[in-house]
Order: sequence, then C-alpha cells, then structure tokens
Amino acid sequence: MNRALVVAASGMAAQQMHLDVVADNLANADVAGFKEAAAAFTDVRAPGGAGLGVMPSGTHPVFEQGKLEKSGGPFDVAIQGAGFFIVTNGSQTAYTRNGEFHRSPSGALETNDGWRVPGVRIPSDATSVSVQPDGRVHCERGRGERSDCGRIVLSTFPAPEALDPIGDARFAATRRSGAPVRLLPGAEHGTTIAFGMLERSNVSIIGSMMEILAAQRAYEANAKGVQAADEMQRIEVC
Amino acid sequence: MRAARSRLEIAAQNLANASTDGFRKSLADVSLTTRGLVVRRTPSDDQGALRHTGRPLDLAIVGEGAFVVGGQPTRNGAFVRDPHGFLADDRGARVQGVHGFVRVAPDGTLLDRIPMPYRSRIVHGMLESPNVNAVSEMVGVLDAQRAFETAQKALAAIDETRAKAVNELARLR
Repeated sequence: MNRALVVAASGMAAQQMHLDVVADNLANADVAGFKEAAAAFTDVRAPGGAGLGVMPSGTHPVFEQGKLEKSGGPFDVAIQGAGFFIVTNGSQTAYTRNGEFHRSPSGALETNDGWRVPGVRIPSDATSVSVQPDGRVHCERGRGERSDCGRIVLSTFPAPEALDPIGDARFAATRRSGAPVRLLPGAEHGTTIAFGMLERSNVSIIGSMMEILAAQRAYEANAKGVQAADEMQRIEVC
Repeated sequence: MRAARSRLEIAAQNLANASTDGFRKSLADVSLTTRGLVVRRTPSDDQGALRHTGRPLDLAIVGEGAFVVGGQPTRNGAFVRDPHGFLADDRGARVQGVHGFVRVAPDGTLLDRIPMPYRSRIVHGMLESPNVNAVSEMVGVLDAQRAFETAQKALAAIDETRAKAVNELARLR
C-alpha cells in the first residue's frame, strides 16, 4: 500500500470539506441570525507515530454575537447576549437567533414560515406593539390604553456548540447539547432584547475569503503530493 | 529510494494536516549511516500562528506545553462545555486540570487551572493554526520525488555496469 498516496488523498478530501463549510457560511452571510460553522480536523497516526493522514472531526456552530442592525419590521427583535428564541411548529421545538417575527391571524408572534413564539398573544385591536429589553411585550389599543401581551422567554444550553443546525438559522437540541435552560432576558447573563433590530449573521466575509484561499492552496499542494506518490509508484513498477 | 519515500510520506502527512488546529509538523532528518540514508521523523516545536475564532472556550498555548485530553497530550484547544459542565473536546474527552478534570461555569469561566510549564500562557478565544507551510512542504514533495528518480537512475546505472561486467568481461576472455 502506498502510504504517501493515501495520506495526500485524505488531505485533499479534508480541504474539500473545509471549502464546503466556508462556502455555506458565505452563502448565508445575509441571513439574519445565521451562525457560521467551523470545520475541525484531527491528524491520524499509527501507533509508532507514523502519519496516516487527516480526518474531519466535525463542524460546530460559532455563537459569536452578530451585529445588531435597525430593521423595518414592526415585530423585529434581536438578542443582545447569550440565549435563543424558542419557536415551535406544533410538533417540534427549535431554537433560533433570528427574531424576524410577524403577527399571525390568531394573534401569535411567528416566523415567516409559521413557527410560533410561545407565551405572546397580541390582541386584534392592538394599534402598536413594543418589546421591552426584558422581553415583555406591551400592546397599545386605541386611546393610549396599554396592556401586557406576554413575555418573550429565551433558552440557553449547557453545551450550545453541540446543537444541531436544522436550517433556516434554527437549531434543535441534542443529547450532547443538554436540555434547554430557561433564560429570562433582562435578568440573567446580561442578556437583553433589542426591539426594532435584527441580528446579522456573524460570518466575516474577509475571514471566509482568506480561509478559501488557504484551503485552495492546501488542496493544490496535496494534489501535488498525490501526483508525486503516483509517479514514484510508476517508476517502481517499471 | 527508501529514504525519498519516507521523506514524501512525512511531507504528505504535513500537507494533509494543513487545516488541523494545533497540529505540529514533522521534520525529516536525513543522515548518512553505514546502512545508507536513514530518515528520522522529529516533531517540530515551532509555534503555530494564533487565529481568533470567537468561541470563548477555544484555548491556545503560547509557548511550550500541551493540554492533556483523555490522557493524551495535544496542542489542539478546541474545547466546549459538555452537558455535565466539564471542559471537553468535540469527542467528549475531558481536559485535565490541576484538581482533576476542569469544570466550566455556565458563563464560560474556567473553574480550575490547566497545568502549563513556567513561561507558557493560555489565550482564550483563539486556536493555534498548524505550523505547516504549504509551499515549503510542496517543495519537499518535489524534492523527494526528484531524489527518488535520481536514486532510481543510479540503480539502473549500477545494474547496467553489473550487466556489462557479467556479459562483456566474460566475452573478452
């Protein structure tokens, strides 16, 4: 077995996967609440220490805070600090940092694709709605009459990096992430809710471009390694 | 030829890990002995560049030393908080601290010290990039390839000389 050939080929596969992850990050750079993923690799060695190549050891979401941006939506909210919005579609509960919500016909607060935020009910005659930093939702109905319409409660996790991204900037709890822990904004971990704002994705375009360049060069270099190993094999066979 | 092959294997392993955090490249030490060229693999101690990751539990070592994770030393400090509140790598192996495994507070503070040699320092939110330089490894690959070809030519020349010795010298008599 030609070890150099296998090792170099594993390097090409790893860089291919690296590029896949970065490309996905870049593609979602404009998705509100999107969290970039980081690919991790680990070296593989035989018991004597001889190299056997590289192996992907998984990708993790990076929960660095994204920039908050003023938005036009009347129900847009953003989380400043740790935590996730809880959304449910009836059968499944998911967690997201995307606070681009709308009012449903039944008065619930929901995402574009119909995932509801529990604990909030907006009366149909409400003329304006505002969300306080502690997540309390205030509705105004005619003649300056104000009423309490519920509170947005957040969740954190013992190990958020192990959450499973399920698309649409949403995450599902896993066995390794642990069970969700209730987090009251305005009271715990310095987390607050910003009303009229959206959290941009935390993808750095420049950082991603640099990663692409490095991955591309490493891919090429590994391809050279494959070529060299193959060439040696040819000479040996002849 | 065997030496060139070993050099290629070492360069290929370094290249394959050009994106493995905390990876330290191996150097090929070639020495001439009575048994021909011998290639010894020695790990490089050069510090890799530190890269900001934005994850507070990513740790990088500036200086010597290593984390002990699951009983194994490693320079890769990509850690997370596991569901039981311990600092662990992505495979769930826990990190050894001064007083047993390191625990992490919910806000990300480490509740124990990680033993490090004097003068070494741990930085948070960063990872150590591999100390592999793709260009110089590529040169190593080409170098090994050419050395292999040269050795093969020499082998062919020796073979030819021997053939001459056997066939033509015998004819002279």
